[in-house]
Amino acid sequence: MDRDLAARRQLHTTIFDHCYSPCGKYIAAANNYGQIAVFSLSAALAPEASEATWKPVFIFEASEDGAIFTLASTDTLLISGGNGPIKAWKWADILSKSPRVVWSLNIPKKGPFSQPEINSIVLNTEEDKSEVFAACGDNNIYVWDLESGQQKITLSGHDNYVHSLAVKNGNTCASASEDGTVKIWDTRSPSDAVHSIEPYKNELCARPKFGKWLGCVAMDTTDDWLVCGGGPSLSLWHLRSLTATTMFDTPGACQQCVMFHDDSIISAGSKGYINHWSVNGEQRMEVPCTPSSVFSLSYNSASNNCKVLSATGNSSKLDIFTNFGYKAFSFTFSQV
Amino acid sequence: MPTNREYSNDHIETKKRETALHFVLLKKLNRLSHIRCKKSRDATNEAKQRIDQYHLQLQNLLYETMHLEKEITKCLEFKSKDEEIELVSVEEFYEEAPSDISKPETTKEDQHQLRLARLDWELEQRKMLAQKLKESETSKDQLDKEIKTQQEYLENLQPKLTSILQSTKPVQEYLGMPFDQIREQHQIAGHLPHPLYVLYMQTDAYRQACDKKLEVKIEGDIEAAKSMKSTPELFADVEDSDSDQEEQEKKSSVLTFFHLTYFLNEIYPGDNGNTSPNAANQYELRRLGLGEFNQYIKETGKPYLWAQWLSGSENMQQTIKRLRRRIKSRLSLLKQLASLERGIIPLAPEAMSLFPTKIVAKLASWKRSTYEDFCVLPYTEELISNGLAKESDIFFTATMDRGSAKMTAQIVMTSDYPAVAPLLLVSLQWQTERSALNDINIQEMEEEVNVHYKEMIIHKSHDQILANQLQRLLMCFDVYLETETQNAEEGPKEISKKSLC
Repeated sequence: MDRDLAARRQLHTTIFDHCYSPCGKYIAAANNYGQIAVFSLSAALAPEASEATWKPVFIFEASEDGAIFTLASTDTLLISGGNGPIKAWKWADILSKSPRVVWSLNIPKKGPFSQPEINSIVLNTEEDKSEVFAACGDNNIYVWDLESGQQKITLSGHDNYVHSLAVKNGNTCASASEDGTVKIWDTRSPSDAVHSIEPYKNELCARPKFGKWLGCVAMDTTDDWLVCGGGPSLSLWHLRSLTATTMFDTPGACQQCVMFHDDSIISAGSKGYINHWSVNGEQRMEVPCTPSSVFSLSYNSASNNCKVLSATGNSSKLDIFTNFGYKAFSFTFSQV
Repeated sequence: MPTNREYSNDHIETKKRETALHFVLLKKLNRLSHIRCKKSRDATNEAKQRIDQYHLQLQNLLYETMHLEKEITKCLEFKSKDEEIELVSVEEFYEEAPSDISKPETTKEDQHQLRLARLDWELEQRKMLAQKLKESETSKDQLDKEIKTQQEYLENLQPKLTSILQSTKPVQEYLGMPFDQIREQHQIAGHLPHPLYVLYMQTDAYRQACDKKLEVKIEGDIEAAKSMKSTPELFADVEDSDSDQEEQEKKSSVLTFFHLTYFLNEIYPGDNGNTSPNAANQYELRRLGLGEFNQYIKETGKPYLWAQWLSGSENMQQTIKRLRRRIKSRLSLLKQLASLERGIIPLAPEAMSLFPTKIVAKLASWKRSTYEDFCVLPYTEELISNGLAKESDIFFTATMDRGSAKMTAQIVMTSDYPAVAPLLLVSLQWQTERSALNDINIQEMEEEVNVHYKEMIIHKSHDQILANQLQRLLMCFDVYLETETQNAEEGPKEISKKSLC
């Protein structure tokens, strides 16, 4: 019976997020049962690798409160967020298979029954800072200083859950929310959002039948570009003029994750494809992947030998793309 | 001066003459050159013509050779029908064929003659064999006829024998000894495959010794069993006079044993709970080790394992307990199923607290389905490949609706229900066709009922699990429809926010 339950759990596994270890040789993936699995990327990419390397090296229960929605990695720590507090583990401990919570951060409580979930965690390490940004289900974005462990700033202004975050240049933060807006914040003046973009009101990308929610946002580190999508089509915005310049058409699919990579934009969403776009809106590739709904995309640039793109979603598989054009293999978040 | 003039006149005169002469010479030379030129041109023409002629000749010859080569290859490639015929080898041919066909004196030298002779011999042999076949067929027909008459004779004998046996019945009854029946049963049992025979004997012995209410019967096509001794299609049926549960299963070949014993497993303990420690225990053991057993069947053959299982018994108390529990849950399931077929989800009063009081979606229908129907659905593939749905499971289809939205749930129930909770797969027709493949929310609904079913177990009783799962699914359906309507901006709001809190 336990085996049967394990099989059922595996069938219904969703990997909400994954990230790479600082050395780039391992991947951590978190699922809807609050477990974190660690896979060895270097072993799976070795020339003599067998299918046995597609199994987790190590699995541990990371959350008693259910699903983990987001993972982030610093030079030494793995940070997870979801239902319950934000927790941090040392990578070294995890790799020696004895994970121990180094610290945990609680969201300021509003009332006795509020237990907002954390939808996205982003680290800000630029300009000698080390801050954690967390986008929460109570419509706020909280910022902690990692050195002191103090909650420094609260960015409030959204009318609904905040789904996704992007930070650049140390002070600018963009947040995408269920209420249909992307708000751009300056952490030096946190009382109010600097700008607010409303893609559902823009005729270029509005799609009323999918609603106005926004699931993903990303910012280009050098230029003034922002890309966001969700119910409205994925669209590219120019930050200084706040106008939508390009629409990336995905008929019938809502984009749930997006990233800039070199001169292209990679996005994925509620259909089992990873889309590669050029900035002018031309679709370069549409690569099929295992999950039919993709929640997380990541590119590993830490290790020279393991430069891969990876994707996870509503499946127990973690797809690895060594070449962007096709899926090389999949790690399996098995429940054994 | 005059002389001088004269002189010059003379001189002019001579010069004139010379000039005239030169002109004549020039003319001649000119003509000569013309003639020569013409001559050489003629010569060139002639030579050219000659070359053309030779060239033509060469072309003709080349064409001829090509044609001849083609003819040669055509001849070489020619295939005769006789090459396809398989002939006896040359040595054999010389040994067996009479000399008037083999003609060794000519054929030894001439390959062609040899071939002809061998073909002759082949024809002769084939004729002979055809004759033989005909003869054998006639003799076979004859034998068939003979057998038929014999059979008729035997069939006529049967009623006579029965009438004799019938006439002895009053005597048997009078003496209170149903020898006849017992003997008949035992005779039939003789046709059972070995393991079943052991089973039969054991159960029968148990019946005689401890439990008179138990009835042991063998049903099946005895004639067929006789004719196919190795894999008899047989049906052993142990009926329990107390139980109101009745099931019929008839399967042939290897898997028979499993279904059969499984069936026994259900019925047996209903008999006052005083089940045979031996037999029941073995069935239980078998049930637990099922996976391995199925694989064994093909490799080692069942009789030996079967006999082994029948030979030992332990842990009787627990087995009986388990069997009793099984029967109880089975009865509860039957009640649930009957109620579901009427469109009502049979919720236990103590389970009410698990669900909101107001659920708008309704169960529209509940039907039995088959493995084949289940397999063709696109979203079942992963389940089957994961081994979560097998052919031996029981399948149902339920439809639920609210307004124009219609949800179809496929329910997979293992024979181990309710220890293993039913597995539900959902598809939804509402504006578009949705399933876990294209809608993450549906996947989450499935997860809710399939993985977190433990929350729905009350008082550690699994019996109500199916009803509770269905109710939970209805609830999820409501929530799904209401949140979807809320998200979409456009269109008529058919689903109002009724039960969302």
